Amino acid sequence: MSSGTVSVPVTEKAGRRPNPRIAQWKRTWFFLRGNTLALIGLGIIIAIVAAAIYATTTPISWDAMTEYCGTNQQTGEGNTCPPGYAIVCTYPAGSSPPGPNCYQTPAGNPSDVAPTWSSHPLSAGPLPLGGLTLNPDEQYFFSTYEGLLRGSDWSLIISVSVVGVGALVGLLVGAVSGFMGGAIDETIMRLVDIFLSIPQILFVIIFVSVMDTVHPSIAGLSTDSSIMLVLIIGFIVIWWPFYARVVRGQVLVVREQKYVEAAQASGAGRSRIILRHIVPNSIYPVFIQMSLDVGTVPLLLGVLVYLGFKLFPSPYFPEWGSITALSVVNLQGFLATCQVGACIIPWWQILFPGLALFLYAISVNFLSDGLRDALDPRLRR
Amino acid sequence: MRMWVFVIRRSILIVPVIVGVMTITFALVSALPVDQQLIAHFGQPSPHDPWIYNPVLQPGQGTCPPAPNTKTCPNLFLKTALAKLGLNQPLPVQWGVYIYNSLTFQWGTVNNHSTVSETYPDLKGLPVTTVLAWYLPYTLELAALSLVIILLISIPLGNLSAVNRNRPVDQAARVLSFSGFAMPSFLLASFLLMGFVILIGSASAHPYFTYSPWCPSGEITFTEFFGSWPSPQCFGTTGVLPSWIAAGVHTAPTGFPTIDALIHGQPWLSLDTLIRMALPALAIAFGSIAVLLRFVRNSMLEVMNLDFVRTARAEGIPSKTVVTRHAGRNSLNVTITVLGLTFAFFIGGFPVIEYVFHLNGIGLILAYSIQPSPGSVDFGLIFGTTLLFTFIIVIANIIVDILYAYLDPRVRLG
Repeated sequence: MSSGTVSVPVTEKAGRRPNPRIAQWKRTWFFLRGNTLALIGLGIIIAIVAAAIYATTTPISWDAMTEYCGTNQQTGEGNTCPPGYAIVCTYPAGSSPPGPNCYQTPAGNPSDVAPTWSSHPLSAGPLPLGGLTLNPDEQYFFSTYEGLLRGSDWSLIISVSVVGVGALVGLLVGAVSGFMGGAIDETIMRLVDIFLSIPQILFVIIFVSVMDTVHPSIAGLSTDSSIMLVLIIGFIVIWWPFYARVVRGQVLVVREQKYVEAAQASGAGRSRIILRHIVPNSIYPVFIQMSLDVGTVPLLLGVLVYLGFKLFPSPYFPEWGSITALSVVNLQGFLATCQVGACIIPWWQILFPGLALFLYAISVNFLSDGLRDALDPRLRR
Repeated sequence: MRMWVFVIRRSILIVPVIVGVMTITFALVSALPVDQQLIAHFGQPSPHDPWIYNPVLQPGQGTCPPAPNTKTCPNLFLKTALAKLGLNQPLPVQWGVYIYNSLTFQWGTVNNHSTVSETYPDLKGLPVTTVLAWYLPYTLELAALSLVIILLISIPLGNLSAVNRNRPVDQAARVLSFSGFAMPSFLLASFLLMGFVILIGSASAHPYFTYSPWCPSGEITFTEFFGSWPSPQCFGTTGVLPSWIAAGVHTAPTGFPTIDALIHGQPWLSLDTLIRMALPALAIAFGSIAVLLRFVRNSMLEVMNLDFVRTARAEGIPSKTVVTRHAGRNSLNVTITVLGLTFAFFIGGFPVIEYVFHLNGIGLILAYSIQPSPGSVDFGLIFGTTLLFTFIIVIANIIVDILYAYLDPRVRLG
């Protein structure tokens, strides 16, 4: 669009008018195609989704297992491996390696293996992203790469379910509120005001801690799964009012349009008008708000974990926010005991999960920005 | 409508919001088991009378005469305690009692065995309101400083990037805005802290953390990392608690560290406090700057295309004056509205930042009170903090609305 003149593709073929909604999508794609940042964002999102699908569909092969039981070969301590788990040979920084192909652990924990390309006879293979410490007390060993790969599905599931359900509820409530007006509108908007004046993170905190005390496990789920469910519900409860407010503002504009009047004149019922005429036409701001929020949910989850909640969808492969938070906690404890300069700081444990979170959030943001530019004709120019 | 009529009208509107928030917290509180509710309000039973919340007393406990004359007797204390919270009444009465207690600041007691009590033994068994009142001033000061930082960065930068649309300045602002959205707050804060520590050397050894030339009575000025309270030596008292709490109102009349240092005639110490607060304030401000920057830029772009700006330009008014006086003033409305809308998000950042930097504010207390180890979760403090944060947000929203009405006469006249 830098040329200044924009030629919109002619989607009409002679004799056959395309569905106007399909034409709209085609137009959106045309403008999105010219936006490099948005395309980059789209590419990253597709890659993340592919990784998540790969992680859920492919079981961990125990031959090439990257979750290892760490042990210090010099002392033999820490070998708490369940049967079938490999033993990773590690040695602390400063000492000589006990054998060939052993990993050096500069940070002191058996699992703090720095990024390395050297291979290991026990099939640990190269660790380009290093090892991860999820719990300094445990001796389990994680590859950062495998942790990020296996954590991608939960990151996506949590953020998409929170934002998706929240937006759906907000959309319906906001549409009803804006269309009905009067007492219903007033009541719903006061309710929205109430929810908006509680800090999201605080609400989720009290919701999760109360639910954790009352029902440690719901509906026969395991403790980990049920706390994830509670967490998602808590996020949805505090999240929908934002969408409701956005949608209501949009509906107030849309309901004055001629086509709504025409639908009313032709005898359409209220639910039909809301669902077929109002909602589809006020949905775009919601899309943009959703894409902004999707990246925020893992960050908030990381905040909760950082503050000391034990929220792991799977004990060995938590999602990205938790991995980042645990790594930061680990690093801080490490800094407290280690003289700066005397030992190597495990920067890889924070950099790579943080980068994953950052890329996820920023790609969705890029895409949403591109979508807004593509959808709003005033911003195109 | 006159201004004061608008203010009163707007203030009345907060009543349903406050009551609504309390209803939500009431729903969560009453989901808790009864003994947890009692502990949150009256505190943990002391080792002398561990039976205090038991429904039935064994012989020899409390008022119950010893065996073999009696078997068991009903716990009268429990009855009084339940009656005080309305827990023996139907749910609407419980709700009423809860609302009354919340509005009169009877927010319960700090749990003797909670993580907060383990970390700060001086807080054991104190009323939640007292504890929060002690820790509030520091948080307020931090909030004020970071609000100043937010406004000072986002408004000029937003205007600049709107004027230089799609130029390098705009792109840089966009990258800043994106990183604010995508960066977890704890990560940014930890990086700032660790970068500073690494930059300076060992945290505990460097004089910056332990020594202030402006503190007359001792070398150790700050007990924690920067930003925290001046250590007791500075004001001449001892103890874990900050000096003004330990020594009463005489040493610290207001509770705001900066103002207190000024009252004590130590302007350099108050400057020192402010400097040490700058890094955490920046960490808190970053997320809000990201949001605000984007809205300031967009609203500025919209205003710049309006007719009156073009007229002003045509009149030959210098471009700088047009941007600051004509367009800037009109885009300020949006800025203030967005600031009000994101205030809840802004306040929600405090627990993390205060926890990372270990600042003695309400957020730190909340961060400790939700941790299940080494002690237990402290529900009294959690709910008290939530109510307090909500009050702050509601009041901030009123201030925003009043400012909005002041800036835009159409709001109060229409």
